[in-house]
Amino acid sequence: MKLKINGEVKEVEVPDDVPLLWVIREELGLVGTKFGCGKALCGACTVHVDGKAVRSCSVGVGDIGEREVTTVEGIFEEGSLHPVQQAWIEENVPQCGYCQIGQIMSAVAMLAKTPNPTDEQIDAVMSANLCRCGTYPRIKRAIKRAVELSAEQKGGK
Amino acid sequence: MKRRDFLRVSALASGALAVGINFAGCASARQRREIARVAQESGVFRPNAFVTVRPDSKVEILMPKSEMGQGVTTLFATLVAEELEVKVEDVEVTVAPPSQEEYGLMITGGSTSTPDSFFSIRTAAATAREMLLGAAAASWSVSRSELTVADGVISHKSNGKSEPIGTFAADAATQDIPKDPKLKKREEFKILGQRVTRVDAYAKVTGTATFGMDVQLPNMLNAYVVRPPVLGAPAKKIDDAEAKKVPGIVKIFAFERGVAIVAEKYWQAKMAAAKLEVTWGKGVLEGFDSEQLRQLSAAYSDKKPATAPRNDGNVKRALERDDVTVLDVVYDAPYLSHSPMSPMNCTIQVKGDSAEVWAPTQMQVFTAQVVAKVADVPQENVTVNTTFLGGGFGRRGIFDFIIETALIAREFDRPVKVIWSREDDTKFCYYRPQSYNRMRGAIDAEGNPVAWSHHNLSQSLIAQKDLLSEILPGWIPQAMNSMLSRASIGLFRSGTVPAVTALEGARDMPYKMDNVRVGYTPVVADVPVLFWRSVGHSFNGFVVESFIDEMAHAAKKDPFEYRRKLLDEHPRQKAVLELVAEKANWGKKMPAGFGQGIAQHHSFGSHCAQVIEAGVVDGKIVIEKVTAVIDCGFALNPDMVKAQIESGIIYGLSAAMFQEITFVNGAVQQANFDTYKSIRMFQSPEIEVHILNTDNDPTGVGEPGLPPAAPALANAIFAATGLRMRRMPFKPEFERLMAESRTRGEKKQTTASITEEVGQ
Repeated sequence: MKLKINGEVKEVEVPDDVPLLWVIREELGLVGTKFGCGKALCGACTVHVDGKAVRSCSVGVGDIGEREVTTVEGIFEEGSLHPVQQAWIEENVPQCGYCQIGQIMSAVAMLAKTPNPTDEQIDAVMSANLCRCGTYPRIKRAIKRAVELSAEQKGGK
Repeated sequence: MKRRDFLRVSALASGALAVGINFAGCASARQRREIARVAQESGVFRPNAFVTVRPDSKVEILMPKSEMGQGVTTLFATLVAEELEVKVEDVEVTVAPPSQEEYGLMITGGSTSTPDSFFSIRTAAATAREMLLGAAAASWSVSRSELTVADGVISHKSNGKSEPIGTFAADAATQDIPKDPKLKKREEFKILGQRVTRVDAYAKVTGTATFGMDVQLPNMLNAYVVRPPVLGAPAKKIDDAEAKKVPGIVKIFAFERGVAIVAEKYWQAKMAAAKLEVTWGKGVLEGFDSEQLRQLSAAYSDKKPATAPRNDGNVKRALERDDVTVLDVVYDAPYLSHSPMSPMNCTIQVKGDSAEVWAPTQMQVFTAQVVAKVADVPQENVTVNTTFLGGGFGRRGIFDFIIETALIAREFDRPVKVIWSREDDTKFCYYRPQSYNRMRGAIDAEGNPVAWSHHNLSQSLIAQKDLLSEILPGWIPQAMNSMLSRASIGLFRSGTVPAVTALEGARDMPYKMDNVRVGYTPVVADVPVLFWRSVGHSFNGFVVESFIDEMAHAAKKDPFEYRRKLLDEHPRQKAVLELVAEKANWGKKMPAGFGQGIAQHHSFGSHCAQVIEAGVVDGKIVIEKVTAVIDCGFALNPDMVKAQIESGIIYGLSAAMFQEITFVNGAVQQANFDTYKSIRMFQSPEIEVHILNTDNDPTGVGEPGLPPAAPALANAIFAATGLRMRRMPFKPEFERLMAESRTRGEKKQTTASITEEVGQ
C-alpha cells in the first residue's frame, strides 16, 4: 500500500492491521516516534494524521488511507527548529526524553488549532501524554514560550 | 546469620574498593609512554582515561555513567569545560566502554554521579589543562605563568600570541604529568553554579537521540518473549502451528524466561504471539498473595524485631510509663514497579568468540560480565554500547533483560533486539519491596516525645534468591552489594547488612528523643525486589515524617514548630525546614477543605523539605502546590537541580496517590498505564523549588526530592480533612476512610460527618 508521510509517498508491504507505529519505526526506519504502551494510554507514539494528534500504536496502517502522516522527522529541518522544539530547549524540558517527542507532537497539533491556549486547554490536551520524569511544569511553561516564539516569528516576517 | 553477614560485609568492602578513579595523578613512566604513543598514532592528547583533546580543539570525555534523564551528560560537560577552560559546546560526552580497571564498576545509582565526579573529573580536566599550557610555554619559549587559557584558546599576556588548545595537543603528550594539578576555587567558577541548558536537549527534542529501542543494525532480528502468567513458570507445551504461519517468523522456542518468538520484524513477532498457545507449569510465586503477606506481617509485628540496629534508652519502659499517651499505628507501603517510559529492551550480537551489546543499562561492567557468561565468550571480547535510557529509576540497574536477550541472541549469528510489552514491563519487574511498619510513640503530659519505636517488616534487597541466579550463580548478590556499597556505605558499620536498605531513613530518624528503637524483621519471599528511586527512603520517609506529624497533632502542637525544636543536632535539616516554612508561608489561612502539610528528609547526602497544599474537591484529593527547599551543598547547575527535585516530587506523588503492585496467587494484578497510574498534567501541582546553597561539597539530587513528597501530602490531607493516610496508595485509602466515616456518621445519625465538611 501507499503511505503519505512527511511530504513523501512511500510504498509499504504489510497487512492492514499492523499498527502505524511499527510501520513508521520498522518499515520506514523513522525511530523518533516511540513505543510506550501499545494501548494509546501514554502518548509516546503521537504523530499527526492530517494535522491531528493520533496515537500511532493503536491505529492500523490500513486505516490511514489517503491521509497525510507527519512524524517528528517531518516537523523541522536541520538548523531551523519548530518553535515548540526551541521552547522545549529554552525551558530545559527533557529529562530522560523518551516521552518528549510525543509531547512535542501533541503540543504542535494543539497550537495549530489553538494558537494561544489557556491553562485548562493545555491540561485537557496534554494530559493524554504521560511523563514519568515529571516534566509537566516545564512542558506547560514551554508551550507558553512557544506561543511567544511563534508570535515573534510571525512578527519578524 | 552472623557468618553470612560477615561474608557479605567483606564483599561489600572489596566492591567499594574496586571503585577507584584512575587518572594520571601519579605519573609513572609507563603512563607517560602511553600518552605519548596515543598522541603519535592518532594526533590526539589523552592524558587520562577520561579526557581526550583533539587537534581541532574539541574535547572528548568518556563518562562511566548512564544518562537516564538526571543530566549527568551535562554535568560531565560542565565539569570538564570549567577546568579545561573550553566552551561547554566543545565538549563531546560519550559513555565509556566497560572497564573496571579504568572506571571502577560503572554503576549509575544512589545519586552518586555528582559526588563521584566533582573532584575526579575536574582533576582529570585540570591535568590536561596544565599539560597543554606546558606545551604552549615550551613552543613559544615563554614562562608558563605568562599564559592564560579561556574558551579553548591559550594566549600570552603581552606578546600577542594566541592559539587554540588543539594546536598543542600532540606536544602536550610529552609534558610532565602534574602530580596535583590545581583546581579552581568556587569563586573562580564561570560555568559551575550557573544555569546551563542540557547538552542532550537538541537530540531529545528532534527525535535524534538513540534510545535502546532505536538501535537499528543491518540484518537485525527482532524478538518478543511470551511470558508465563506467574513468574518462573516453565512452558510445558507449545502449539505454534498458527503462529509460525505469520510471515517473517524465524524461530519459536521455549527458554528460561518463557517462549521466544524471533522474527524479521517486531510487529511480526507480536502478531505471532497472539496466535501462540502455551500450557504453563507452576511458577515459584504460585500461591503468593501480597494481601496475605500484609496480614502475616501484621501478626508478626508484635514480636521483637529480628534485629534492632538502633536502640537508644529503654523504649519498652518509656512506652509503659503511666504518665504518657501512646500512639500505636501501622504504616503500609506496597510493592511498586518503576515503569519507566521506555519498556525494557536490549540488542545483542554474538559472533564467534565475541559479543556486542547495545543496551540502556545503569551497569556497564556487570553487563559485560553477564553477557560473557551467557554467550560463553571471553569478557574482554564483549563490547558494550550504552544508549540513552528511556528512564531508569533503578530498574535498569539489574540485567534480567540483558541476560534474556543474550540467551536468545546466542542462538543466532545475526543481531537480535528484544522489546518487552508495557504489560510485561509491569508484571516482570524487580519491585520496590512491600513494607509493613508498626509504629509506637509516646508523648508526656506536655506533649514532648519520650519514645519512638519503629518495626519494619519487608523483603531485603540483598538476601534474595533470584530466579536468574540458577543461570548465573551469585550474580545478584554481587551486583546488589556493589550498588549498595555506592549508595549507603556509611551504614555498613551497623553489621546488619540486610537491614541497610530496609531501614535507611528510619534508623537515622533525626528527631531528638531519649528512647528510640528502630528494628527490622526480614520477610522471605520469592518476589524479585530492587532499588526503586530513593530505595528505603521511599517508604521510610513517608513513615517517619507522617508519624512525627501524628505526634505533633497528638501533642496539640504546630507540626512545623514541633519538628524544628527537635532538630538542634541536625542543622542542615533544620535549615531546610525553616526555609520551606517561610517560602510556603506556613500557617497561612487555607480555603475550606484545604490544608498545608510539611515534611523534611535527608537522603543521599542531600536535605530536602517540602510544604504541600492539598485538599478535597468533589470527594477527590487535589494537590495544589508544592514548595520545596533543597540543600545539595554547592548547586552545580541550579536549573537542573530544580528539574530533578520537580521530577522526584511528581514521581513520589504518583506512587503516593495511585500506585501499587499486588499479587493474587502469584500473578501481578496490574498491567498497563490504566491499572498502574501516574500523575498526568491535569493532576500535576504547581511546584516551586528553592535552592539553599551551602558550602558543602555537591551531593546528588536524583532521589532526595522524592521522600518528603508522600508524607507532606499525607500531612496536608490530614490538615484538610482529619483523615490520616497510613497506607499507600492514598486514593483508595482515602475513599475507604471516607466510606468508613460516612457509615459512622449514619450510625450516629449526625450530619457533621467529614464527607459533608469537605465535600462542598
